[in-house]
Amino acid sequence: MIWLQALVYFSFTVFVLVVLAKVVKYATMPIHLRWELYPVPHEKGRAEHGGSYFEEADWWKKPRETTLIGELKDMFMEMLFIKRVFEHKRPLWWFTYPFHTGIYLILTWFALVFIGAIFEIAGFPISAASVQQLGFLSWLSPLIYYLTWIVGVLAMALMLIFGLGLLFRRLGDEGMRSYSAPIDYFNLLFIIAVVATGIAAWQYDGDFAVARAFMKSLITFSPLPSISGATILHVTLLSLLFLYLPFTKMTHFFGKYFTYHKVLWEDEPNLRGGEIEKEVKKVLGYRISWSAPHMKPGMTWADEVLKVSPNEIDVWKKEEK
Amino acid sequence: MAKENVKIEDISKPVEQLVKLTLDDLMPLPPPYDKPGEEPELTEPTPDWREKYVTDLDGYIAIDLPWKPKTKEEEEELVRKFLSGLQKLLDKENNWTFLQPLMLSVEYCARCQTCSDACPIYISSGRKEIYRPTYRAEVLRRIIKKYLTPGGKIKAKFTGDIDLNANTIIRLAEDAYRCTLCRRCTQTCPIGVDNGLISHEIRKLFSQEMGIAPKALHELGTVQHLQKGSSTGLTPDGFKDIIEFIEDDIEEKLGRRIKIPVDEKGAEILLIHNAGEYLSWPENPAAFAILFEEAGISWTLSSEQVAYDAVNYGVWYDDVQLARVATKHTEIAAKLEVDKIVVGECGHAHKAISVVADRVLADEYNIPRESCMPILWDIVRKKKINFDPEKNNFPVTLHDPCNMVRLMGVVEPQRKILRELCPQFREMEPHGVYNYCCGGGSGFAIMQSMNFPEWRSAVAARMKFKQTLEAFKDCISPEINKYLCAPCSNCKGAIRDMLDYYNAPEKCSIYYGGLVELMVNAMVDLEEPFIEWEFH
Repeated sequence: MIWLQALVYFSFTVFVLVVLAKVVKYATMPIHLRWELYPVPHEKGRAEHGGSYFEEADWWKKPRETTLIGELKDMFMEMLFIKRVFEHKRPLWWFTYPFHTGIYLILTWFALVFIGAIFEIAGFPISAASVQQLGFLSWLSPLIYYLTWIVGVLAMALMLIFGLGLLFRRLGDEGMRSYSAPIDYFNLLFIIAVVATGIAAWQYDGDFAVARAFMKSLITFSPLPSISGATILHVTLLSLLFLYLPFTKMTHFFGKYFTYHKVLWEDEPNLRGGEIEKEVKKVLGYRISWSAPHMKPGMTWADEVLKVSPNEIDVWKKEEK
Repeated sequence: MAKENVKIEDISKPVEQLVKLTLDDLMPLPPPYDKPGEEPELTEPTPDWREKYVTDLDGYIAIDLPWKPKTKEEEEELVRKFLSGLQKLLDKENNWTFLQPLMLSVEYCARCQTCSDACPIYISSGRKEIYRPTYRAEVLRRIIKKYLTPGGKIKAKFTGDIDLNANTIIRLAEDAYRCTLCRRCTQTCPIGVDNGLISHEIRKLFSQEMGIAPKALHELGTVQHLQKGSSTGLTPDGFKDIIEFIEDDIEEKLGRRIKIPVDEKGAEILLIHNAGEYLSWPENPAAFAILFEEAGISWTLSSEQVAYDAVNYGVWYDDVQLARVATKHTEIAAKLEVDKIVVGECGHAHKAISVVADRVLADEYNIPRESCMPILWDIVRKKKINFDPEKNNFPVTLHDPCNMVRLMGVVEPQRKILRELCPQFREMEPHGVYNYCCGGGSGFAIMQSMNFPEWRSAVAARMKFKQTLEAFKDCISPEINKYLCAPCSNCKGAIRDMLDYYNAPEKCSIYYGGLVELMVNAMVDLEEPFIEWEFH
């Protein structure tokens, strides 16, 4: 089964590298014009009514008061509860929220399996019974054992039921259906297939002992344990999903960081002599190739602004044929 | 002719007009507008307009240039230019200004449609698909994926197909002018995708690559502003004449003459008004002059070209024009050696110079800029002038200009003033950063060509009209004068046309005006009321 093990390493590596490359791509884009949207939750004492430092006369002479807690609060409300869908599209929330909770739980399950595998590698078996070698921590082993089971089963159930629910909702909601392309259905079906084969594999691995053994092999680079056909199919599909994910809009798990923190909540003023001003000077040196009549292609932004005389500005005219 | 349940792909279909609006489809209005016949019928475009202009989307014309291609060659040329512009929109040097926000919004929309119901135009129209916040975004996304990515034509079958032809392009351009860029939709997106921004970027593509934009914004807007001094056509001499006229007017009302400071070097504040105020609502700059003088503020106006008009229409459709106008404003402020620029009651000018253009200014052009609202609140709070709120004892509600509130965060100072000075002040619902646009946002207020004003008042401003009626429902009778306070020139323009369209001054005695007029109206020193309850 060396091919399966290789596939897992390969797809995980590609996943990490492509996600990193995309993060770097967005993180290294040039500074953009300010385009914040209120309420901005880090505005201390003002976020409640959606205010900004512009509510203060001579704002640039005063210290800017921001609150990280406010920002974190809004962030976590969105991450943990998908607050905006709850507030603005409740019927969808009943499907998307449990589905996303399923994703969080399955990630927790992976972490638990990983921790369990580390324990076993260290010589402390994970089982329903307490492990005496762990001394006063002997309850840890059964805790991991039961937690893995509960979290895993709950995650599978939520993702399957509400994955199907999302699929039917997409088909049933006129507004969503007419905007959906085959890829939107494919993505959901792909996830549902991975979960369904996961459930099949679980039939041969009731307490996830094989899953832990599998993880142990991956961590220690040793041969895989003997696994069922269902597990082979499941791991293959899951690896393919990991290969596919970073190329899709499902990477919104990091995209959201940029939309909020780098655009909608980004209200850093350009103060004279400051860091932003340095950045601004750099981008004003970029060259324009726009070709409308009021542009001078080939000039830098700074020259377009400062060196083009108003009388040189032409406008669109119907070409006489 | 018209086709309902419009799909994304339909934008490229060879039909004369994609959608037809009827009064029956539009969102119902509260009393006394809840009966048929209470509002004007919608009209059809004339055959001549159909021939010359783009009426192919919904019959209305925002882009008043005869740019509709007539021959196969012209159509192909249009597609070629569109794609070349689109490439530049995705290019770091040409579009550093919005590349990151644009790419994020193109990439991450899940088409969950959570944003749809936040859009006043979509709702007011009776949920017409072409006005849904995601419609133009999805069209643009599909074009980018199909025509600008490797293997796009094959992948399109899987990721969502679209045909890029002249129909697609002319309709997309018009559709970008059916969104007021209020960005209410963006507030609801769980991923932070910005469909308002997509409208903005589509407008930029047409303007920056082809010079295609509504005349009111470009030729008679930013270009006239830079060349003649103001988008209203007002010249420096004309400006000085008006200032004299305003001084006369103040003398009549206040009983003594005020010298309005113009071009005073070294003043603390350079105050810039939307020049539309001087021509349409001179009582607004007059009220500012009275308040600033009475409060002992060191300030000046400028009579130099560009600097007596705070507008910056570039913020709606063209980044280069935005930068040119903003730089001119700050250049003149630097010459006058003022400490800061303060923007009068003009929402987009607030946002343009304080927020959006913040990152095109450097060195001597990087002068502090701020809103007039905190200064006005300081006058009230610190009791620099004696006010008697009883003088304002009539129903008042507040319209929040999107650019000043949702897009800049100036929310409280203006309502603190109203709470203090207007005993019958009541909020609209929703208000503050969750307000609805007046319908005149993103340039619509000044776009008066052909049938566009009809669409603006019937559809874009419909939600604001509904909110206004609801805010005054306890006193809707025409016997009671009501004041809709809109501290923004463009909002006032749109509201003026909206009230007139629905005949609301006559039917309900709803009048409108700015904030400073209410402040001066409450001044103890004034013998006669400053507000005249005249519709103009």
